[in-house]
Amino acid sequence: MAVRFIDPQNADFFRNALNADPEFKIAARYMTKDVCIEVGITKCIVKFRDGIVTQIKSENAFADPWDFAVRGAEDAWEKFLQPIPPRFYDGIFGGMVRGNFRLEGDTISAFSHFWAVTRMLDIFRELQNK
Amino acid sequence: MARVDPVISRYIHLTIQGIEYRVYYEESGKGIPIICQHASGSQTLEWRFLLNDPEIISKYNVIVADLPYHGKSLPPESIQWWKEEYRLTKSFVMDFQLELSRALGFEKPVFIGNAMGGFLALDLALEYPDQFRAVIGVNSALRAGKPTLDTYYHPYIGNDYKRANTLYFSSPMSPEKYRRIESWCAMLSAPSVTKGDLYYYFNEHDLTGKTYKIDTSRCAVYLLNGEYDPTKSIEDIQMLKEQIKGAKFTEMKGLSHCGMPENPMLFKTYLMPILDEIIKKSKPK
Repeated sequence: MAVRFIDPQNADFFRNALNADPEFKIAARYMTKDVCIEVGITKCIVKFRDGIVTQIKSENAFADPWDFAVRGAEDAWEKFLQPIPPRFYDGIFGGMVRGNFRLEGDTISAFSHFWAVTRMLDIFRELQNK
Repeated sequence: MARVDPVISRYIHLTIQGIEYRVYYEESGKGIPIICQHASGSQTLEWRFLLNDPEIISKYNVIVADLPYHGKSLPPESIQWWKEEYRLTKSFVMDFQLELSRALGFEKPVFIGNAMGGFLALDLALEYPDQFRAVIGVNSALRAGKPTLDTYYHPYIGNDYKRANTLYFSSPMSPEKYRRIESWCAMLSAPSVTKGDLYYYFNEHDLTGKTYKIDTSRCAVYLLNGEYDPTKSIEDIQMLKEQIKGAKFTEMKGLSHCGMPENPMLFKTYLMPILDEIIKKSKPK
């Protein structure tokens, strides 16, 4: 299963979907951070500016700085993105507790914007299965 | 005519470890008393479905209290509680339940608790087996896993964190309307309370090397654990059940850490056989 949100061709589609989601708009308000999502050895950087996702950058992003990162193996993300994920892959926090995902960098910022991050990942799941 | 819940709300004054607390509790039904303990950072709302279930309250007198500092149970007036960090201890929460039961005139009630309350179920069965006829530990465990305390009480992390986190402590198969209300309820506690409750959860509940002392002939032990609970695996609970001679364990397929409030109808299918068995055992022979 190809992870769709990491594909540069889908970047604008995913960015527009995030910015149009009513819950995401509330959850992400005030957020100005660069979030790295790492799928195995591939990554993208989701750039938030005042609550708007301005860019999902997955090409030439290897040297770009970020505030915090959510990291998991490709297999872990494939399980996470299933319509009904298996146990220990249905949420990032639970996945971290079980060692399936890692949160790194400025973790205080990550938890202060946790609602926006988790809603973003739920939207990624919804789009993955459309 | 408006629909009215059968639940009665009251305050009772309890003296726990020398300090008086005005404790809020809700009560419903007639029959064998069943005392319900809420999870960390939670309150009576967690057991609203049990308090309102016609079948259950026709057989059981359901009691749910807010622990001090939770819900409508305020901090005490007689001490300067604001000069120390709120922290729930095992001895306090056990004394609280014993005093509540004594004050209400109960004789060997049933005890049910979820998550932190599930841990308390086993601690009560170990320490006070003659005070309860049965305990039902929902999402209980031998001990907690890795501590995750700081995120629950930090000046840069608001209550929206609890909303987001709790949503994924319920199963992806549970109805969204219930999952969303449960994550709302997680935001209702004062900022320091969830972290303070987790002191008991992470630091004081540890049955390692003690499970063999739990005597299920004096106090029956039932364990209900959710398939999706990220804080422990079903395999861990199967091992715990093996260590407590006579304990009964059921995996709750399709449920997670939140238990009843995330999917009350499904939870009830796992709870009713236990409640029926307790009634059967309680009948005079």
